[in-house]
Amino acid sequence: MKMRWMIVFLPVVTVVVISLAVKEHAARAASPQAAPAISAPHSASITPASVSAGALAIPDTTSAINSPTPMSQRVVHYQIDARYNATNHTVDATEVLTYHNLTGQMLDHFPFHLYQNAFQPKATWVREAKIVGSRDTTYEKWEDKEYGSEDIKSLEVVGQGDLTAQLQYIQPDDGNKDDKTVVDLRLAKPVPQGAYVQFKIAFQTKFPETEARSGWKRDFVLGGQWFPKVGVWWHGAWNCHQYHAMTEFFADFGVYDVKLTVPQFEVMGASGIKVSEVNNSDSTKTLTYHGDDIHDFAWTASPRYKVKEDGVYQGQMGPVSMRILMQPAHWSQVERHEKILRESLDHFERWYGPYPYKTITLVDPEPDSAAGGMEYPTFITGDSSWFMPKGAYLPEIVIEHEFGHQYWYGMVATNEFEDAWMDEGINSYTEVKVLDSILGKNTSVMNLAGATVGEREVQRGDYAPVADLDPIAQKAYDYYSGNSYGGITYGKTASVLLTLEGIIGEDTMAKAMHVYFMKYRFTHPEKEDFLKTIEQVSGKNLRWYFNQAVYGAPVMDYKVLKIESFPVNWYEEKKGSAHRDEKNTVYRSYVWLQRKEDFVMPVEVEIKFDNGEAVREHWDGASRWTKFTYEKKAKVESAEIDPDHKVQIDRDDFNNSYTDEPNAKPARKIENYWMFLSQWVAQALAWWAV
Amino acid sequence: MAQNQGLLSSGWSRMAHNKRYIIWFYLLNVMLAWFGAGAFNNQVHSILDHSLRADYLLHGFHLVTLIEMFARPEFGPTMASAAPAMHFAFLFFLLTALFVPGVLQGYAATYRLPRDEFFRACGRNLWRFVRLLIMAAIVMGVVAGALFGLQGALQKKAAESTNELLRPEVRFAGLLVIFLIMTVLRIWFDLAQADVVLGDQPAVRKSIAVSFRHMRRNLGSLFGSYLVTTFVAAIVLVVGIFVWIKLVSPASLLGAVLVSQLTLLLLLIPRFWQRGIAVSYYLRDMVEPIPVVPFTPAPVAEPVVREPISPPVILVPPPEPLGS
Repeated sequence: MKMRWMIVFLPVVTVVVISLAVKEHAARAASPQAAPAISAPHSASITPASVSAGALAIPDTTSAINSPTPMSQRVVHYQIDARYNATNHTVDATEVLTYHNLTGQMLDHFPFHLYQNAFQPKATWVREAKIVGSRDTTYEKWEDKEYGSEDIKSLEVVGQGDLTAQLQYIQPDDGNKDDKTVVDLRLAKPVPQGAYVQFKIAFQTKFPETEARSGWKRDFVLGGQWFPKVGVWWHGAWNCHQYHAMTEFFADFGVYDVKLTVPQFEVMGASGIKVSEVNNSDSTKTLTYHGDDIHDFAWTASPRYKVKEDGVYQGQMGPVSMRILMQPAHWSQVERHEKILRESLDHFERWYGPYPYKTITLVDPEPDSAAGGMEYPTFITGDSSWFMPKGAYLPEIVIEHEFGHQYWYGMVATNEFEDAWMDEGINSYTEVKVLDSILGKNTSVMNLAGATVGEREVQRGDYAPVADLDPIAQKAYDYYSGNSYGGITYGKTASVLLTLEGIIGEDTMAKAMHVYFMKYRFTHPEKEDFLKTIEQVSGKNLRWYFNQAVYGAPVMDYKVLKIESFPVNWYEEKKGSAHRDEKNTVYRSYVWLQRKEDFVMPVEVEIKFDNGEAVREHWDGASRWTKFTYEKKAKVESAEIDPDHKVQIDRDDFNNSYTDEPNAKPARKIENYWMFLSQWVAQALAWWAV
Repeated sequence: MAQNQGLLSSGWSRMAHNKRYIIWFYLLNVMLAWFGAGAFNNQVHSILDHSLRADYLLHGFHLVTLIEMFARPEFGPTMASAAPAMHFAFLFFLLTALFVPGVLQGYAATYRLPRDEFFRACGRNLWRFVRLLIMAAIVMGVVAGALFGLQGALQKKAAESTNELLRPEVRFAGLLVIFLIMTVLRIWFDLAQADVVLGDQPAVRKSIAVSFRHMRRNLGSLFGSYLVTTFVAAIVLVVGIFVWIKLVSPASLLGAVLVSQLTLLLLLIPRFWQRGIAVSYYLRDMVEPIPVVPFTPAPVAEPVVREPISPPVILVPPPEPLGS
């Protein structure tokens, strides 16, 4: 009897679950947040490709991770055999890409990123960089050395023959016909769900002088975004954006086997683990690297790197080998580099989750190159200089930040084109937390000659000038300017999450971050995955906050408008009366607060009286202003909004408090600096000119 | 070296005997800076005086708070507040140019120069100094422009090198060479100033030419003296800032004012010392010696016998006849 019910029940449940899943999938695909419309195939009449699941596979190797089983759903396997020409800064390579169709539907076309084509005068990247700026160049004048390219010489699909002629450049974002950063390949036979398809690509990449953390400088090269990379099937469509001046990347997890042939004098570093190194008869050498559960592969070469590779960090999942490639003039800073890398690893493992890879390579890139401060899976670049006093923490900040990307980008692989704040912003937030812990809250950026700077103020300082320009939840290439992109994506996100700590509590926030990492590592989460995790962990509905802080661009600026105290019986005081009985006089005091801008946020207010008493009030901020009234035998001395400094997004901190009695000492101190400076300038001018 | 020491001590002595000039120039420097800082001070007070946030600045040097203060809309663009300070710095330069002739006259005098003589020297040399300054500006501008251009080219070349340290080395070596060459030019025009004032030379170009010859002929001792004094200035600045940062409590306003103003006062000394050196050199080596004529008593001459002087002839008209 029971069995009979099961026979009826199971097929019904199966049908309902499948139909619900299909419905949800269709709804997500149709949502306005879906990726650009490189549409999915819908013609079922096309004959499927003959490459079946049985013929090909993505390897389930684990030699590059401290895990006995794969940690990600592996979609791609790149096998690249590349030869670097150090004179021309070109790479000639063959790439065999095996793609596992886990999209749930048949695929009849595949878009590929050709990132290095961005560095051409008519490309979208250059066009945007010229308008909104880039951190590397202003493109005031075009120079040949700025040219980069990525040409597919031939493309064969196993079982379908040479399809080079089928390649077509597409411009899904801006329609710029001169942009060649995305190429689309229409297959003769579509690839069914669950099947594998293999592409054999011959290509040549020419690097520009370093742009966007890739390319050459002098005899150094950083090979980033250097090979044709397939797009990501995401929310029912291909997600393969053009390369923009403000965007980074998005790719599927998989396995990388890369052979690099370079001149023998080069010192190399790369993503993954080194499998072998063989000297060739033509004064070159071939190094083979292997990476598991990563979604990109970068490498670097320079004849002058000094290498420290004896550092091992004992991680939660196993030992992590730390390889540090330093510029010779920075060798004295190698211990400093290793220390911050080790401490970052330690903090991330304890706070967010384990680091599963067997290696981390830290590159101190060529000075004056645009290669500093970049992240690739298991491979990061720092930033330093020959002169780096101990209290100036630039190397520490950059290394911590880029290491943080191993978590927020490397493992939690968000879409950097569309949700840049989810890697850069969340990473900036954890950067504040980690560096505050390591270097001190008010000194985590600088502690030099009496001058101090803390990380959270820097993040807030980046955000404040652009607070009213863009929301956080926005495609990276839609920002008003480079400053706005930086200030909002990094600074505002960090400030918003620090403020969130004040709302849900620091411990709850820490727990939410841990849960988010563990739940979404080796996946491609989106905004709501993160925000809902925080709501679930905190048990609070935070929509009122997220709608303003993440989805909107309202500005927060609260102000103590006025404070005033006068005797209740002021009318009884005789004219010309010399003395008032201060101790027994009852004062009526008022404190007015104002919400100057449109961000509504409940805040605490602390009112201090001249008898030493302090009162805490709560204001929901709903109205434009509010007033607190007191009758006490004391006058109001000061009022301060957010006395515990939990709110990091208030644009102007100076007007958050007001004291009845002015204190001129801080201003006089600044005056003295100014006087010294202007007197010294006057003396110097007179010294040299008269 | 002995000659060098002589110039240094002689210049110091002139400067030390006329300390009042340094005090006056310092007061002028303070007063003008105070006027120039007025707008800036008002803005700072309006933002900080009633804000608890200002405590960050009082009890340390919280750079971000300072930057945020400058970024506030009501503070306005920094240049707007900086402009008056720059104008008054320029005014200090002009007043220095006006009063330096008096200083040079005072340094050369063997007595305490009365105020009227001081200002007379200033007035008498005003137009000469204007011409001298224009000439100095042209020469120094051209030379500095050429040197900085050359340094820029060298730095560009060094930037191609794979030796990272070559770039800062070229930069610092270049700046050092520029500094040394500009010091030579400074010596040249300091001597020209001394010649114009003390030699009462109305033809400025002659002073420039003479000074150039002297500067070239005695470059070693002059250059050494100027380098020593500049080194003293650098030491004063570094020690002053060190004491300010390390020994003065961040919240001690009085301590900060005393140390900073004392540093600025002491910084004036090396330049006045250099002027003393220029005057000493001028008096020692550039003044034309007065020819010494050996005294020989004049021979007593015999009286010359001339024609006896006839009494003056007074022409008196003849009396008119009475009763005619």
